[in-house]
Amino acid sequence: MNGWILAATVALGAGVGTALWGVATGPLRRRVVAQNMSTALVCPALLLLSQGYTRPSYVDLALVLALLGPVGTLVFARLLADELADDPPRAWGVTWAVAGFGAVVVGVVSAATGPSRAMVKLLVIGALLIGGNVVASRALSGGFRGVGRG
Amino acid sequence: MNRRTTLLIAAEALAWWCALAALWLVLISTVDTLELVVGASAAGVAALAATAARRVVSAR
Amino acid sequence: MADAVIVVVLLLVGATATTAVAVRDPARQALVLSVLGVVLAVLFTVLQAPDVGLSQLAVGSALTPLLLLLTVRKVRRRARGKGRQE
Repeated sequence: MNGWILAATVALGAGVGTALWGVATGPLRRRVVAQNMSTALVCPALLLLSQGYTRPSYVDLALVLALLGPVGTLVFARLLADELADDPPRAWGVTWAVAGFGAVVVGVVSAATGPSRAMVKLLVIGALLIGGNVVASRALSGGFRGVGRG
Repeated sequence: MNRRTTLLIAAEALAWWCALAALWLVLISTVDTLELVVGASAAGVAALAATAARRVVSAR
Repeated sequence: MADAVIVVVLLLVGATATTAVAVRDPARQALVLSVLGVVLAVLFTVLQAPDVGLSQLAVGSALTPLLLLLTVRKVRRRARGKGRQE
């Protein structure tokens, strides 16, 4: 057990534990935000695990999650739009905190990798992760009302 | 379609191809000739599709 | 000590799955289910099966909630239409 896996364990236990509590209780607006945060927390944890196991191919899991996590949140934002419109979630503090955590993890893992193609891949994953989650949060809080609803 | 729009379309497809080929180059694990050939052709197809899709969306 | 991460993720999977059963409303259940898909993918990763984890991610994080929500929406619409006819 090295420091990377320990960090991933802490992130998973504390972060996803909190997200699970958020998704299980409270009003709908808190649950959707917690679901979005869970994907945004697991993606850096997967990067840490990949570094901990020294298996660079495990990074692909984080790449797929960074792509599909926001897609899943957009599904909820679209199909629960009527229920969310009355009581839109406002959670920019949490969004930016988790985005900052993702940026820190990507930065540290990139620094450990050193300048190479693998580092550019990590930076691409970081950009996808942060951009996707900001877009998903904006969609949840009704930022794209103009887009057709049905 | 006059000559200027044709030139614009070609430039846009070329820009898409550069970006997509660079993305392929970053995401593959080992760089060899076969990967480069496959990546270049896949990026070409995707660039044509992206150009067409963007034109349809912006023409709406 | 090296298995601590497996224990933590197993506990998370157990807690999430129990929550998914305990929540009654289907729309909220879909939210918990999408978290469960992501946590299961992490479990497969720490058990050194990233290929299974990849397919679990693809199916669990976006596809299952989408199918569930579409089904719920269709059932609700049908129920509403029947209520109008009577």
